[in-house]
Amino acid sequence: MSDAANAPAPTARQASYGEVFDRGYAHYDGPREGRRRAVLSLFLYSIKRAMGIRKSWTAKILPALLYFSSFVPLIVIIGIAALAPDFNVASYIDYFGGIFMIVGIFCATVIPEILVPDRREKTLPLYFARAITRFDYVFAKLAAAAVLTMTISVLPAIILWLGTQLTAESPASAMRENIGDLGRVVLLGTLIALTLGTISLVISSMTDRKGVAIGVIIIGFLVITGISEVAVLELDMGWSNYFILGSIQAVFNAIASSLFDVVPDQEVQEANLDTWIYFAWVVFIIVAGSLFVRWRYSPRNAS
Amino acid sequence: MLQTKTDTRRVTDTDAPPVIEVRGIRKTFGSFVALDGINMSVPRASVGLLGANGAGKTTLIRTLLGLIAPDSGTATVVGYDTQHEGTKVREYVGYMPEAEGLPSNTTAADFVGHMAEMSGIPPRAARQRAADVLYQVGLAEERYRLIKGFSTGMRQRVKLAQAIVHDPKLVFLDEPTAGLDPRGREEMLELIERIYRQLGIAVVVSTHILEDVERVCDYVVILDQGRLIAAQSLGDLGDIGGEVIVHIEGDQEAFRRALEAQGITVREADLEMGFEELIVEVENESTYDLIRDIAVAQGALLRSLRGRSRSLEDIYLGNIGATREEVGARE
Repeated sequence: MSDAANAPAPTARQASYGEVFDRGYAHYDGPREGRRRAVLSLFLYSIKRAMGIRKSWTAKILPALLYFSSFVPLIVIIGIAALAPDFNVASYIDYFGGIFMIVGIFCATVIPEILVPDRREKTLPLYFARAITRFDYVFAKLAAAAVLTMTISVLPAIILWLGTQLTAESPASAMRENIGDLGRVVLLGTLIALTLGTISLVISSMTDRKGVAIGVIIIGFLVITGISEVAVLELDMGWSNYFILGSIQAVFNAIASSLFDVVPDQEVQEANLDTWIYFAWVVFIIVAGSLFVRWRYSPRNAS
Repeated sequence: MLQTKTDTRRVTDTDAPPVIEVRGIRKTFGSFVALDGINMSVPRASVGLLGANGAGKTTLIRTLLGLIAPDSGTATVVGYDTQHEGTKVREYVGYMPEAEGLPSNTTAADFVGHMAEMSGIPPRAARQRAADVLYQVGLAEERYRLIKGFSTGMRQRVKLAQAIVHDPKLVFLDEPTAGLDPRGREEMLELIERIYRQLGIAVVVSTHILEDVERVCDYVVILDQGRLIAAQSLGDLGDIGGEVIVHIEGDQEAFRRALEAQGITVREADLEMGFEELIVEVENESTYDLIRDIAVAQGALLRSLRGRSRSLEDIYLGNIGATREEVGARE
C-alpha cells in the first residue's frame, strides 16, 4: 500500500481550512450489496435518465410538458367538483379516454430513453460486466418503464378518485362507498401502463436510434388503430371482429366499460367480443413483449 | 507493501493464491475454435494478455468474466467459479472494454458513481469513491462536466475509473491505449502501472502491442489461434544460453573471418541491436579468450561483450512459430 494510503485520515482538528492533503488511494472495506443494489441502481438510474434528471435542461422539457398535460385537467376536474358538486364534469372512463393519448405519447417519447441510449452509446458491455445477469438488466428496465408510465396513468387517476371523495359532502363515507372504484382505477391504470410501456420497450429494443423508435411507435399506433377500427366497422365477417384487438385504445375502452359497467364505444359494440378476450389479449401483450425484450438481450443479440 | 517504479522491476506475487485458474477451457462458435483447451494459473501480478486479432483474447476475458459459458473446462477468478458465480466474479473484478462506450449526456462523477452502485456499493460510498477514483485518474477538476465534451484520452480515463471504482481485486483492461496519441498513451501506461504497483489491484492488459506489455507487465500470457502459447513471468525470460553479443570498433569483417576460421559460428546482429555488433556462439569458456585474443591481434577495440537476453518479441515469435509447426505436423 502507498504511504499515502497508509497515512491516517486527518482528524477534524487537523484538517483546518487551507491545508493540503495527499489523497492517496484507499481500499474499500464497506458493505457490498451485490445484485440487489445493482438492480435497484439500474432501475433508479433508468428512471432519472428518462426524466432528464441530471441532464441538460432540454431533456426535461418533454416529460415536464406531458406531466403538465396529465395533471392540469385533473386539477380542473377536481376544482369544478369542489365548486359545483352537482355538475358532473368527467367520469373515470372519460378521464382515461382523455389521457390515453397523453400516456401513449409519453410511452412513445420518454420510455425509449430507458433502453435506446445503452445500445446507441454502447454501454451494454459495461453493464453486463457488473454484478447483474442479463435477466436482471431486462427486469430493471421493464420495471422502470412500468413504474414511470404508472406515474402518468395510475397516479393522476388515484388523485382524481381521492379528490372526488374529498369534495363529497361526507368524505369518509364516500371513500368507504367508492373503494371499489379505487381498485378499478388502479387496475385499469396499471394495465394501460404495462401494455403501452411493454410495446414501447419492444420497439425500443430493436433500434439504437431514439427518433426511429418514437416514429415507429407513433405511426404504428395510428396506422394499426385506424386499420383495425375500419376493418371492424366495414368488414362483415365473423373473424373480422378480432381486428378490434389491433386498436389498443378500443381494447382499453372495452376493458374500462366492463370495469365501470358502462356502454362502450361503437366499434367495440360492433366487434361484440367477450370481455375476457380483451383481458387475455392485454396479458398476452405484456408477457410476450417482456419475453421478446429478454430475448433481444440474450448474448446472441446484444453485444 | 507498496511496489513503486523504483522497486524491483518484476513484482509478480507468487505467494498469493492465483487470481485466475483455468482448466481445459474450450469454446467454439460454430466451426470456429475460439479457445482450444486453455490451461493456466495466473499469479497476482500485472499481466499482459498478448495475441493478434482473433487470437482469442476477448473471448477469454468474456469467459473469465462469466459472460460466456465455455463448451468444456472450468475457470475460477479471484476464487469464484465463473460459470456458477458469475455475478460474484463481476462484483470483485473490473473491466475496461476496448470499444467506445460511455454515455455522453451525463457527468463523469454521476456515471462512475452509478457504475460503483452497479457493483453493489451503497449510494453514498459510491459517490465518495467516484470522486476519489476520478481524482486518481487525473479527472478531479473535470468530474462534473458532461462526458460528451471529453477528449479521447479523458474518455479512456473515465473508462479506467469505472473499472476500478468498486475496488476490484482484479481488473481487465482491453486495449487500453488504442486510439491514444503518444502523450495520451504514455499517461495511460503510467496509470496502468500505478494500478498494480501502488493501488495493489491485479491487472490483465489485453493488447497486441508488445512494447506496452514490456513496459507495464510482470507476467505474460500469449494466445495464438485460440491456443495458449506461453504463460510465464517476464522476469524468467533469462539469457539465451550459448550466445554473446560482441561490439567491436575496427575491421568487423576481418574479426568475423578470424573467429570463423577457429570454427566459431558468427552472425550479424539485428540492426536494432547496433550496426557493428555480432552474435557469437559460445562453445565453451575458451571462446571468450579467443574473442579477446583476436581483437588484440587485429588491433580492434572490444567495446562490449554481453550475454544475449531474450526479448518478449523472441518469446512471442519463437513460441508462435514452434506451436504452429507442431500443430501443422499433427494435422
